[in-house]
Amino acid sequence: MNRRLTYLTLLGSLFFAVFPFYFSFVVASHDNSALAQVKLLPGPNFLENVRRVFATVPFDLALANSALVASVNTCSVVLFSTLAGFAFAKLRFRGRTPLLLSVIATMMVPTQLGIIPLFILITRFEWHDTLAAVIVPALVNAFGVFFMTQYLSEALPTELLEAGRMDGCANHRLFWHVVLPAARPAMAVLGMLTFLGTWNDYLWPLVVLASPENQTVQVGLSQLRAGYVQDYSLALTGTVLATLPLIVVFGALSKQLIGGIMQGAVKG
Amino acid sequence: MRTWLYKVDTRVSPYLYIAPFFVLFGVFGLFPLGYTAYVSLFDWSLLRDEHSYVGFQNYAELFKDPYFWNALGNTVSILILSTVPQLVLALVLAHLVNRPFIRGAAAWRLGLLLPNLTSVVAVVVIFSQLFGRDFGLINAGLEALGLGRIAWQEGTASSHVAISVMIIWRWTGYNALIFLAAMQAVPKELYESATLDGATSGQQLRSITIPAIRPTIIFVVIVSTIYGLQIFAEPQLFGGGGPNGITGGSDRQFQTLTLYLYEHGFNKGFDFGYASATAWVMFGVIVLFAIGNFVLSKRIRGVK
Amino acid sequence: MRTSILIAAVAVMITAACGGGETPKGDEKITLTIAGFGDFGFKPLYEEYKQTHKNIEIQERISEYAAHHNNLISHLATGSGAADIEAVEIGYLSSFTATPNRFHNLLDLGAKDLESTYLPWKWQQALSTDKKTLIGLGTDVGGMAMCYRTDLFAKAGLPTNRHEVSKLWPTWEQYVATGKRYKTALPDSYFMEASGNMYRAIVEQAPTGVYDDADKLVVETNPIVKQAWDLTVDAISAGLSNRLTAWTPEWTAAFGQGTFATIVCPAWMTSYIENNAKDAAGKWDVAAVPGGAGSMGGSHLALPKQGKHAKEAFELIKWLTAPEQQKKVFKSTGNFPSTPSLYTDPDLTGFSKAFFNNAPIGKIFSESAKAVKPQHQGPKQGDVFNAIGAGLGRIEQGKQKPDEAWAQVLADAKKLA
Repeated sequence: MNRRLTYLTLLGSLFFAVFPFYFSFVVASHDNSALAQVKLLPGPNFLENVRRVFATVPFDLALANSALVASVNTCSVVLFSTLAGFAFAKLRFRGRTPLLLSVIATMMVPTQLGIIPLFILITRFEWHDTLAAVIVPALVNAFGVFFMTQYLSEALPTELLEAGRMDGCANHRLFWHVVLPAARPAMAVLGMLTFLGTWNDYLWPLVVLASPENQTVQVGLSQLRAGYVQDYSLALTGTVLATLPLIVVFGALSKQLIGGIMQGAVKG
Repeated sequence: MRTWLYKVDTRVSPYLYIAPFFVLFGVFGLFPLGYTAYVSLFDWSLLRDEHSYVGFQNYAELFKDPYFWNALGNTVSILILSTVPQLVLALVLAHLVNRPFIRGAAAWRLGLLLPNLTSVVAVVVIFSQLFGRDFGLINAGLEALGLGRIAWQEGTASSHVAISVMIIWRWTGYNALIFLAAMQAVPKELYESATLDGATSGQQLRSITIPAIRPTIIFVVIVSTIYGLQIFAEPQLFGGGGPNGITGGSDRQFQTLTLYLYEHGFNKGFDFGYASATAWVMFGVIVLFAIGNFVLSKRIRGVK
Repeated sequence: MRTSILIAAVAVMITAACGGGETPKGDEKITLTIAGFGDFGFKPLYEEYKQTHKNIEIQERISEYAAHHNNLISHLATGSGAADIEAVEIGYLSSFTATPNRFHNLLDLGAKDLESTYLPWKWQQALSTDKKTLIGLGTDVGGMAMCYRTDLFAKAGLPTNRHEVSKLWPTWEQYVATGKRYKTALPDSYFMEASGNMYRAIVEQAPTGVYDDADKLVVETNPIVKQAWDLTVDAISAGLSNRLTAWTPEWTAAFGQGTFATIVCPAWMTSYIENNAKDAAGKWDVAAVPGGAGSMGGSHLALPKQGKHAKEAFELIKWLTAPEQQKKVFKSTGNFPSTPSLYTDPDLTGFSKAFFNNAPIGKIFSESAKAVKPQHQGPKQGDVFNAIGAGLGRIEQGKQKPDEAWAQVLADAKKLA
């Protein structure tokens, strides 16, 4: 495929990716009756809708809570997944395969069902209505471990580790000096996906977080969808507001997060 | 002394590295699993205090229920319709963004992630506009072409297609990003020499990239299968969110397994025992599919 | 007289109970939590309440409809985490009255004297099957009317004046007959949005619905259930239904586009139409609902047993659902009161909306809500109607013949018994 065609394909895909996003903004800038006709241009109501969102939801507090939860979980998931992934991908130990399979198996339990037993546990720990109830169960996840295992098994040359061992490096030093640099692209991606997933998580936080001062963004936003009458323009204004910080953060960090990684990749 | 420590290190440290996951899993994962397994043997309504032991009766009922098999069929159909195009597209997109001459790689990547940033509510509003029966853009297009309108939600095949399109839209970029991370580790020299040999972009994708990132492909295939079999929000909201969403249409034409589970556990008498049995059967189905896909994707090789 | 005697009496009672009688236990503050799923219009009332109850702090939690109720069920099932006061919508209420053990019995907390304050059927909805436990006090009701498009009616050669339109359909049979006239005149248009609400309204107007008073499912044996089905099927086969799915954006759009001429219209639906079809202002009007009575939606405030401040919580919900407060809520949100003393209040009877050609909707809804006869609702009331609604949907969409659909409905209902 030549350059022009490549760019064209990418631009086309970008259009599909951006359009619904733009469309959310369009709906958010009208009132709800705009749904009756397909509108493609922004309307005059965005600021008014923003005002209504802030009047309904303690948004700044919710943003701070979400930022805290998402940051802690992202750091923890990335670190522990990389550690575990390193062990599963490159170290030999008894029970490796069955343990890895059991990691994968944990992803197969439908989340709707886990909520009740999990809530019983949280009540036992007296974590109800604390951020710990949202943070602790999500400090590690099977997705991350499995992802890092697969990534490191292909991206981390075994010879590099052998060379390190020859020099008398213990595993933890190999981890810091060899594994971490090699894992950076995957860590960045896993970090972004985890941050996003935590940020958008809704079902579980709603069950365990009760007081307004503990709400996360998504829990707060659900107030906008309350009632008999669905006000889509208000709901989508909330969505746009909840997504903007993500775009800003990812946009600002994308150079560091992903751009720099291209050089960071280990060559085999 | 030093060698002794070294030995301990190699023996013990792997367990230390995986310990955080298993400790947390032991607390927050194992208990729910055991709990639902136990509950599935009872006639267990969420709102009653007494629960009577019924053995495997919930399972027997489940297997006798034609709606369960219907939900299983719908789930598999939507899984195939959504996952296959999604993964192929993701691979191609990742490959294109990874081409050496592409400028602004970081911006493209952010673009890939955009659909996943948007909330499900927005997705459903937008796609309902697209797939609307009377005023939808797609039907307007079909009519202009003289093909006639489609009642997307009413038909079995058409509803599966519409739901799959939503899933594909939302998750293709996500998977592309995962592929892209893996592609960073493929040595650039391989592409450079292939280009010198006159290999086209497509040939490079098949003969260099795919074999090199095989473990990640296996990962994506298995994870997509697992999540695809649990698809919930898209069909529910596509059906309007109310009872029509939970049954997946009047004829249950797009009710998935998770919707079926939800219908019993949180709707009809809050029959948590039955829902738990459903979850365990789903677990079995997912395991079977994951193994099947693992075996299949193990055979991924480049073009010889 | 601005207020009726009853309101005055209740007001006095409240002042007696709350103002003077209450003795705050030292400086101890009690925080009451109240969880709901939409705008109940209570926020300004909390401040007012705190003026007279210095020891009470009120915290409100709001989420969306389904999430709120699922949350409530999770918290009831696990015995912790519920708010002191939980709003329960009618769609979920009957499953709780069938197993009332997780809620405080309000009759023990002093609700006995309040019965005459509320509509009899609203009161009865929150009673357990054995009538010994009351789990909630009623907030709003969805008094029912029939909204219709005057422009489409004119085009079809039907009367457009709301009194004449109401006279077209004292019964549902006449409503369907009018629909057939409409369809003959305008073959490309639809008479009603979908058939499910019509069906439900007919059955709920009968003295007995899908359950008898002992919680036994009577779908197969109660003749009205099948008669209503046959009439609805008749309407469907005459092509009257636009077969729209409620709450989809498509449905929303249809209001503005005017693809159908009538919709069963509870009080809250009028705000919905008004907000979603701004361009259609003046084209909609409101007539009486066939059969003369009906209610759709509406909620109760209940007190989960796990709550520790039952007495204080009860005082609060008693106050929040008293006529005075319901009137304030009605004025700020349009939620229709469940206290019949207000139905003669000029604020309500004089209530109209320009959007609906100034139809006196306050009066229409009052009459409709007052005429509702109490009907016992069984534990899986909502699920039974969903199964029947799906059956009608299959006929609408041409997937099944009426007989096949009915057979499947009966089979589905049997599984729910």
